[in-house]
Amino acid sequence: MPDDLNWAIGGEAGDGINSTGKIFAQALSRAGRHVFTSKDFASRIRGGYTAYKVRSSTERVESVVDRLDILIALTQRTVEENMDELHEGSVIIYDGERTMMEDFEAPEGMIGLPVPLKRLAEDAGGALMQNIVALGAACEVANFPIENLDEALEKRFGDKGESIVANNRQAARLGEEHVVEELDHDEFDYDIETTDNDYVLLNGDEAIGMGAIAAGCRFYSGYPITPATDVMEYLKGRLERYGGHVMQAEDELAAINMALGAARAGARSMTATSGPGIDLMTETFGLVATSETPLVICDVMRSGPSTGMPTKQEQGDLDMLLYGGHGEIPRFVVAPTTISECFHKTIEAFNLAEKYQTPVYLVGDLALAVSEQTFEPEEFDMDSVEIDRGKLVDENEIDSWLNDSDQFQPHFPAADGISPRTLPGTSGGAHMTTGLEHDELGRRTEEQEVRIEQVDKRNQKVETAKNEEDWDYREFGDSDADTLVLSWGSNEGAMREAMGFLDEADIDVRFLSVPYMFPRPDLTEEIEAADEVIVVECNATGQFADVVEGDTLTRVKRINKYNGVRFKADELAERITEKLDAAQEVPT
Amino acid sequence: MSSDVRFTDFKSDKQPTWCPGCGDFGTMNGMMKALANTGNDPDNTFVVAGIGCSGKIGTYMHSYALHGVHGRALPVGIGVKSANPDLEVMVSGGDGDGYSIGAGHFVHAVRRNMDMTYVVMDNRIYGLTKGQASPTSREDFETATTPDGPKQAPVNPLALALAADGSFIAQSFSSDAQRHTEIVQQAVEHDGFGFVNVYSPCVTFNDVDTYDYFRDAIVDLDEEGHDPTDRDAAQKKIMDEDTEYQGVIYQDEESEPYNERHGLDENMADIPDGAPEDATDLVREFY
Ligand SMILES: Cc1ncc(C[n+]2csc(CCOP(=O)(O)OP(=O)(O)O)c2C)c(N)n1
Ligand code: SF4
Repeated sequence: MPDDLNWAIGGEAGDGINSTGKIFAQALSRAGRHVFTSKDFASRIRGGYTAYKVRSSTERVESVVDRLDILIALTQRTVEENMDELHEGSVIIYDGERTMMEDFEAPEGMIGLPVPLKRLAEDAGGALMQNIVALGAACEVANFPIENLDEALEKRFGDKGESIVANNRQAARLGEEHVVEELDHDEFDYDIETTDNDYVLLNGDEAIGMGAIAAGCRFYSGYPITPATDVMEYLKGRLERYGGHVMQAEDELAAINMALGAARAGARSMTATSGPGIDLMTETFGLVATSETPLVICDVMRSGPSTGMPTKQEQGDLDMLLYGGHGEIPRFVVAPTTISECFHKTIEAFNLAEKYQTPVYLVGDLALAVSEQTFEPEEFDMDSVEIDRGKLVDENEIDSWLNDSDQFQPHFPAADGISPRTLPGTSGGAHMTTGLEHDELGRRTEEQEVRIEQVDKRNQKVETAKNEEDWDYREFGDSDADTLVLSWGSNEGAMREAMGFLDEADIDVRFLSVPYMFPRPDLTEEIEAADEVIVVECNATGQFADVVEGDTLTRVKRINKYNGVRFKADELAERITEKLDAAQEVPT
Repeated sequence: MSSDVRFTDFKSDKQPTWCPGCGDFGTMNGMMKALANTGNDPDNTFVVAGIGCSGKIGTYMHSYALHGVHGRALPVGIGVKSANPDLEVMVSGGDGDGYSIGAGHFVHAVRRNMDMTYVVMDNRIYGLTKGQASPTSREDFETATTPDGPKQAPVNPLALALAADGSFIAQSFSSDAQRHTEIVQQAVEHDGFGFVNVYSPCVTFNDVDTYDYFRDAIVDLDEEGHDPTDRDAAQKKIMDEDTEYQGVIYQDEESEPYNERHGLDENMADIPDGAPEDATDLVREFY
């Protein structure tokens, strides 16, 4: 009996797919099972195919696989869309009494399970609950004790009143009973184990938001855009509890400028957007760097260019984040590789920003943003959060940073490149800051020596940070393996699972997941030690592979995916195997 | 705040590079006097400026200041005021800066009604880029980029502000030092977004909207007995395109600024050394 269950509900946008899926995911997580969820969605509000997929196991799960064991299909299209993942013995739950599903027949080898979802929902108190009937049916199919749904239903409907919760519980039970009575139970080979573990279930955007609060972020300004909006929605209402504020700006230009203003006033401040918004913010990005303002700018990448495919996965903004903007702009680019890393790297981003008075790009991608995963709550250890505000100077220390005319020197060319910083309100610290080239007082200059001094000073901060901080990779697998795989962003989970498949095929790999895009670890030695180097990323041209080649002066192989869908573990294992086979064929 | 602050304390030791006679001198002096008269000092004042001749103001004043990118000074001011409500925030820019590239931000800043002051040095031309038409240039104003005039209606910033439910809308003339100072001072004292459009002549590129022109044309609203709390009367004045008014055109005395509506009264710079004490509650929400 497989313990690794892959379940999905699919239908049209507006069918309540997301909330139903989330209820099931939460029920599994509360039953002490690990969960990993993913979403297929189109860029429309009503109509259009949508699915919510839940993978669950008692072992930790890090990604999606190309397999679907139980599918709740509200439309025939749902079955068509998932045909590749359905397999012999997959169960398809559908409402045979629904007009659009009347003539549905389960494909060869699969088990069609008609359940009168709407009718049973009406029996329980309302047709709206038809998805919940389906959930009850799915619980029975998987032998998952239906009591586990109860708490999740309470969480979802609790504030609508006890009777609504009771009706939903009843709906689920009607679904369950229907399966018990009407169908031969032996046909189904699922049995879900539960444990006493307590897990939390969250997505990458939520982890970024939670990290921001933990790090002392108090001001957030943003403009809605998929898939970054969840960061703003998470923070709204929560940031306020800590004396902060979330401001919905009129556009991204305003959003980043507001965040910049708040940062100048001393708040830890952040904005989040996706590619098109990063384009708009780039003008001010240069100002943030030149004015040496600490700011965290989060880019949750989606498919581009232009408006591209707003609801699809891609890692196509790396070049933009590394090089975007006119002139030369010192910056940090930090890209968390898992949902829990979204939390930790956000905290780090705030510390880097203030320590070095530099903008930090915090890079997520759609797959990280919309997938949820279970974790031990200890992974989000609030006690270990450290806050480093860098060279903040108060009234008592200000004297040592004044020039002969008692003027504060906010851009003093210190050897490490980091100048003192005073916040408005500090007496004696008043100063000017500008995007124009300036002297140590912050005043405009075109003097050649001063220009060179200030450019060097700003770049020196990056050099200092290279020495003082840890810009390492995360390592997995056999460190002596001949094959080295590199990736960035959300591919880590799929790759880690792919290693299991590769292991079964006796392919040993060393896998480095790189969370720092700039500065980044020097991979020369690792690459020289390997026979084959493959860089995995969700874009067409291999932007990270280019960077690695440039750094190490070594050619690497590339696995790219840019159809809008994230890598799946089994698929990735296959593509790595193909690359290696191909490599062996080519004489060297 | 200390009571013995003089307006010259807001002067930096940098000599302005504005053309001799530029209207911006008078505009800036009035701003400094208004700040000093309202009991502010350089250490609690934050001046944000845009780009243009007008935008250079932050360099010539002494205070906490940011000289930003073209058209985006208002959002910066909004961020500063949100993060630290104890600061006096004054934003300044030109007509190109505020009504062209920054027009969107202008309208939204007005309707947001943050408690701050916005002073626009309106010379009806682009000064720093050497004399092209601006959004407030006259329809037939000839420039290098509009040799036959822009042939489009000028923006009426006061009307935009009123339409966006502005709570303080005023206009002044930089060379009428006393009135200009008074008006900016009232804008600073206003609880909400105090907007002042200042006629600030460009002596180098605009030979139409000159000191002489404004001196002759200006009508003082106080002398007319205008009641600034009367919105309909304000609208009439604003839509009267044949007259150049100076004074407070509209003021909503009941205005409740954004920062008060949203309870922004803490200095957001003050944060704990680690995660907030109850931060584990944030994790618990995900059970
Ligand atoms: C994005 C951008 N576009 C164009 C410019 C060039 N530019 C500098 S000042 C200016 C016009 C300023 O006009 P106005 O705001 O009326 O100010 P004035 O110089 O007249 O005081 C322009 C277009 C710029 N700095 N940035
Ligand atoms: S060009 Fe015009 S606006 Fe600019 S400084 Fe000279 S007079 Fe003033």
